[in-house]
Amino acid sequence: MFAWKKLGKVFTPQAVEGRVWLKEFAQAPATLVFSDFVRVYFSCRPTADANGQYVSYSTYVDLERSDLFKIRKVAEKPILGLGDLGEFDEFGIYPVSIARHADEVRAYYAGWTRCESVPFNVAIGCAVSRDGGNTFVKLGNGPVLSYSPDEPFVLSGPKIRRFDNRWYLWYIAGRKWKIVAGRPEPVYKIRMATSEDGIQWNKVNKDLIDSRIEADEAQASPDVFEANGKYHMFFCYRYSSDYRNREKGYRIGYAWSSNLIDWRRDDARAGIDVSTEGWDSEMVSYPHVFELDGRTYLAYLGNQVGRYGFGLAVLDGQLK
Amino acid sequence: MRWHKLGKIFDPAEHILANDCSQYAQSPQALVFDDFVRIYFSTRAVDKHNGKFLSHVAFVDMKKNLRDVIRVSDKTVIPLGGLGCFDEHGIFPMNVLRHGGAVYGYTCGWNRRVSVSVDTAIGLAISRDGGETFQRIGPGPVLAPSLHEPCLVGDGFVKRFGEIFHMWYIFGTGWKKYSADAAPDRTYKIGHATSLNGVDWAKEEARRIIRDRLGPTESQALPTVVEFGGRYHMFFCYRESADFRTHKGRGYRIGHAVSDDLRDWLRDDEASLLAGTPGDWDADMQCYPHAFGCDGSVYLLYNGNEFGRCGFGLAKLIP
Repeated sequence: MFAWKKLGKVFTPQAVEGRVWLKEFAQAPATLVFSDFVRVYFSCRPTADANGQYVSYSTYVDLERSDLFKIRKVAEKPILGLGDLGEFDEFGIYPVSIARHADEVRAYYAGWTRCESVPFNVAIGCAVSRDGGNTFVKLGNGPVLSYSPDEPFVLSGPKIRRFDNRWYLWYIAGRKWKIVAGRPEPVYKIRMATSEDGIQWNKVNKDLIDSRIEADEAQASPDVFEANGKYHMFFCYRYSSDYRNREKGYRIGYAWSSNLIDWRRDDARAGIDVSTEGWDSEMVSYPHVFELDGRTYLAYLGNQVGRYGFGLAVLDGQLK
Repeated sequence: MRWHKLGKIFDPAEHILANDCSQYAQSPQALVFDDFVRIYFSTRAVDKHNGKFLSHVAFVDMKKNLRDVIRVSDKTVIPLGGLGCFDEHGIFPMNVLRHGGAVYGYTCGWNRRVSVSVDTAIGLAISRDGGETFQRIGPGPVLAPSLHEPCLVGDGFVKRFGEIFHMWYIFGTGWKKYSADAAPDRTYKIGHATSLNGVDWAKEEARRIIRDRLGPTESQALPTVVEFGGRYHMFFCYRESADFRTHKGRGYRIGHAVSDDLRDWLRDDEASLLAGTPGDWDADMQCYPHAFGCDGSVYLLYNGNEFGRCGFGLAKLIP
């Protein structure tokens, strides 16, 4: 079992002032390391509208590299505007995954629209930054990864990586909408696609991670990290119904692979669970692994899927 | 090019249709058999939940005189998609072609949205019983929105030339409110994709293959391609994007373009191609064309007033 030492909550959106679009939630942290600070991209929300509905934006906070608990700056604006009327990302850009490549920084993001029979649908878009990750421009006003015969809806949670000169995208694909207490709840599984240019994608078209707690287990945040000759995936999973609580809410799972396609799930090794009290006492979710100055860190969300921010853990030892 | 109009040939009100459908026979699509012609169309039921329409595929078998009805489908040809799927709220239209002993059906699936009325994508369902019933290859679409085709991918028309499947289809360029209290209206254009197997498609990604005649807010729909006289001919329908439902002169009419290579199309519908007959079923609107060859003749099926509420008609090319 990996030995993650929890360091506590790093960022609390409620503490930020002067940004109407950043009132609650700091979801799905994704890091980009600079010479003297670490930029953490995350997704946030303004207060809900009169009908209790939210939109999501993505933005970033810069943490001091020498002390990740010191905030240097919070972005003045979201990194991307919401889509136009009828477009796939009209009602939310969440989550976002970031990768540096050559002289650009790419963002892959999930765009949200609202539907009549189910609450939402999601597809994956792409944007590029040419100023080191401060501002981004969408490559188009449609998605870069969309629905296909075997992946009919809810393509979300992108995690972009580059190994051996190829682009890899891990994401989730909706399997079904399950009616729970009269309300449709999405069931989704972890999938992947590969690409030479990051724009034309070839889907693998199979579930990568076996379901463990139930057949309709929902899986999210497939965060892949290479260390010691293996690929390590941390992800989160939950029950399909009545999951907004400690008992059935998100937990962090683990799988490893030697070829990026065949994964062996071994949640017993994940090494991080809910705390007995505090900000992550009901759930732990949306893991993101990054390396900094010789140490391996895990950024993750706590209760209510990051409503009150994200925290950090540091690994005692190595991923192997 | 001159057409001999044969009048309305099918009225849904004169038949009993499956799925409690009663009105509309839209976007007729022909499948020619040895001794009859099957014409698929989309008809409508009312959604019990909210009074909105659900489009279902049905067919009518006609004698080759294209006047006498043999029978109308009395079963579900293809069920609507599942909860949250792209084709949950309707299939309109379904284009059919024979391939490898099966019949491929390219569906335009409709799903309702909140800020705009609907989105669409193109699915594939295959029939192995001669076109009586179709089974999806999966719950999702084969052609969906992409980087530069952000919405409303639909109206697929597929034909195989040599070893290549060609699909002409439409993609949305955006939605717009033309006045403060109006519901948003959409604009779409005709595009092109190719495939080696009919399942995996490569789009030309937002290349607008038909020049606008009404300007940037012209909406183009239902492309159909047929070969005669040594050239490829595309028929489609086009209209203004706003105030087109009842305002005569802004609604659908039939367009035409020609090509010698299936790539570059020359639009030539300055002169009215298929004028409506005053006082008749197609007086105010002509839309949703489908061209096909049968026993050496070229036919054009199309809808008339009210987008085909009262059925479809036929014209025959005068050689």
